[in-house]
Amino acid sequence: MAKLPFDNDIKTLRFMAGEMTQGDLGEKVGVTRQTIAAIEQGKYSPSLEVAFRIARVFGKPLEDVFGWEDPS
Amino acid sequence: MLFREKIHWVTLFTMIVAFGWYFINYPWQVVDMKAGVWATGAMLLVTAIGIIIVMTVATAFFAIRAPGEAHLKEDERDRVIHSRGTHLAYYPLVIGVWVNLGAAFYGLSQAGQINLLLATVVLAELVRIGSQIYLYRRGY
Repeated sequence: MAKLPFDNDIKTLRFMAGEMTQGDLGEKVGVTRQTIAAIEQGKYSPSLEVAFRIARVFGKPLEDVFGWEDPS
Repeated sequence: MLFREKIHWVTLFTMIVAFGWYFINYPWQVVDMKAGVWATGAMLLVTAIGIIIVMTVATAFFAIRAPGEAHLKEDERDRVIHSRGTHLAYYPLVIGVWVNLGAAFYGLSQAGQINLLLATVVLAELVRIGSQIYLYRRGY
């Protein structure tokens, strides 16, 4: 499986938000715990809507949650 | 393992066992006769009833064990996994239908055609369910 060209800080942000679980975040965003795990591990590229919802849960702009990793 | 993934596994095994039984026990010596059509109908009925019973019991069992998961709504990743599985299943389905069309022109019997179509649908379903399980296991 090809690695996604972007990274994320969801795990750190969850920890900083009172050790929020993947399940809690999934519930707030409207996806399953498995989907949050797949996003965190860089296996699944979320839709723009879910990406914004995740950022809104942490009260951060999108760029603070997801960062583009330029391969060049 | 999620409720949805467990149901996929049960469906996969049920289909392999049910249609394995069907194709192994089908009286192939009468496939070119009218009796072959009746045999297909009767055996297909038994197979379908068996699948419905197993799936109903398995779904109820897993839903009782994890009611929260059973009521979980499908999210975008589930939908993507489902559409990718369906997309992959499209290829064996189309190939099977074309093979069947060709076989019909060459005079394959009615029961032969039904069985060929049935095998096509089963193969496509196995590809669909198998690929969805693979994607669930992999994460996406």
